[in-house]
Amino acid sequence: MQLKNVHKSFGPFKALNDINLDIRQGEILTLLGPSGCGKTTLMRIIAGFEAPTSGNLLIAENDAVALPPEKRSVNMVFQRYALFPHLDVFDNVAFGLRLQGVSKAQIKEQVNAMLHLVQLDSFANRWINELSGGQCQRVALARALVNRPDVLLLDEPLAALDLKIRHHMLKELKRIHEETGTTFVYVTHDQDEAMILSDRVVLMNKGEIEQLGSPQDLYAAPESLFCARFFGDTNIIEGHVGAVNGGFADISTSMFAARGAVRRAAEGASVSLSIRPEAIRLSAATPGLAGGSHNTLAGEVQDVVFIGNRVVYQVKHGNNLFTCQQSRPVTGIEHAPGSLVQLSWPDEAVVVLTH
Amino acid sequence: MLRLYLWIYLLFLYAPIVVIGMFSFHSSASLVFPFEGWSLRWYVQIFDSETFRSSLYNSLLVASLSSLATTVLGATVALALIRMKGKVREAVATLCAAPIALPGLFLGIALLSAFAQMGLNRSLLTVTIAHTLYALPFFVATLRSRIDYFDPSLEEAARDLGASPIQAFRMVTLPILRPSLIGAAILVFALSFDELIITVFVSGNDTTLPMMVWSMMRRTVDPTINAASMVAFTLSLIVIVAAGAAFWLQQRAKTSYRTSPTGVDAHEPSDRATEERAQVVRPLQGLE
Repeated sequence: MQLKNVHKSFGPFKALNDINLDIRQGEILTLLGPSGCGKTTLMRIIAGFEAPTSGNLLIAENDAVALPPEKRSVNMVFQRYALFPHLDVFDNVAFGLRLQGVSKAQIKEQVNAMLHLVQLDSFANRWINELSGGQCQRVALARALVNRPDVLLLDEPLAALDLKIRHHMLKELKRIHEETGTTFVYVTHDQDEAMILSDRVVLMNKGEIEQLGSPQDLYAAPESLFCARFFGDTNIIEGHVGAVNGGFADISTSMFAARGAVRRAAEGASVSLSIRPEAIRLSAATPGLAGGSHNTLAGEVQDVVFIGNRVVYQVKHGNNLFTCQQSRPVTGIEHAPGSLVQLSWPDEAVVVLTH
Repeated sequence: MLRLYLWIYLLFLYAPIVVIGMFSFHSSASLVFPFEGWSLRWYVQIFDSETFRSSLYNSLLVASLSSLATTVLGATVALALIRMKGKVREAVATLCAAPIALPGLFLGIALLSAFAQMGLNRSLLTVTIAHTLYALPFFVATLRSRIDYFDPSLEEAARDLGASPIQAFRMVTLPILRPSLIGAAILVFALSFDELIITVFVSGNDTTLPMMVWSMMRRTVDPTINAASMVAFTLSLIVIVAAGAAFWLQQRAKTSYRTSPTGVDAHEPSDRATEERAQVVRPLQGLE
């Protein structure tokens, strides 16, 4: 499936601006972004509920813009499931097959196989309002997947579930994806879901694709400030590029001298630096010993949050707070609030973001 | 004290029905106590009357036709409202239901002059049109809660699964709305069957049952009036019971769309859920 130069406007509001996207066979592609970024509109265009203002949508090399939703080999799991309340679980799942004119025996076999896949074997005769949220989710999945779509669209399918079930369903989705091999296009605003689930993430902002890549790419090499902030937690510092030497640059900031790899920024450019909390090492400050010349900073521990297997420190330097994260030291938490610490990080941890 | 009040209140509500019911079976022509014995003579007499039979027939005809017309028109309004969003829907739905507050006198006069200008002679047709107009706001008001509940993505889901727009309507929208439509149609039937004020303005030579009872009342107070009232009452009662039954069936058929999206998976194997918690670590949010 391919989207080419897709634009969509609602009156004066530009919901999508020049979207180009290839969706690969069998992958889990996540459309990620804050609300209003256009991800839902993009998905509704793929499903056929909205027509693009301009641009092309190709499904298996054929132009699909003019096809109504019922003629597309695309099925959707709706955000609030949209299960048919007047039908029981079996009839909900059988809905698409009946419309295709599949024989009764075939329907029975395929529906039961699908209910088995989503682990709802014994729920065939339940009414929809007798199901929990997680079970509704499974029925919605089965109802879409039983039609063997080329692409399965999932519109924030876990948004209405509570945390515990959400993590369980993520694992289930991965399993079902592996068993069916269907291409998944998954819409979410939750970076964790995107990280855990996706082969590739399309990060969207204000109707445009901000960055496209694997979750690791987006996390380790964000190309914009927006991506660095939205995908994972990070520390952002403003700076100016100094001398560039062998791909690495000296960067001056108001708090410390930094050094990091630059790709596009030239000498004198003003940039933002992103330093992930887990890349920062903490050590007790030794008076008189200043440490290295760059990528280091002294500060005072303001706050310590213990989260089981890791510890998050808020370190204050001047008026700025730095977030540092360590895996839990076996010997116990080393730095109490109020203690003076030295922060340091390797050159590779500094991501330089051009403005 | 309160309990005594309650009994008096109930007596006040139901005594007329009991008294009229009793005297419709009275063996003498007397309309006051003492009660002298039981007989069916007033029922025989009323059903012998050609005027009564024809006005009963007229009432049933007008009520059937106007509830049919109202259902078609009102269901179309409901379909339009389902497709509207938030505040706009709220406003339009209120406008559609607001004429409930119009006095019958006002509607009667307005319709009378409208029909005169259109050159439409007063007949059972004008009565049917008038009753349809009068009942539509009630119909829409009855459907309001169902309209608010109806999730438009249900139709999209049907389309997504391969249904044409007409199939989506036939297989999803209509079955979900049907019990509410039937209930509202029955209400319209009852409203039309009882209607007097507007009917007086717009009817021609044909009388309806309420008009006939009213005109009997004006001539003499005859015991047959009790029998006629009881017939009207019984028919209304049947309609109301039918509406109740339709509502009950609707509840039983689980058509109310109230799935709780945040429900807890009672049937989820709990050991798996615990294992899940241990394996997936949720990165801390909101740091920067």
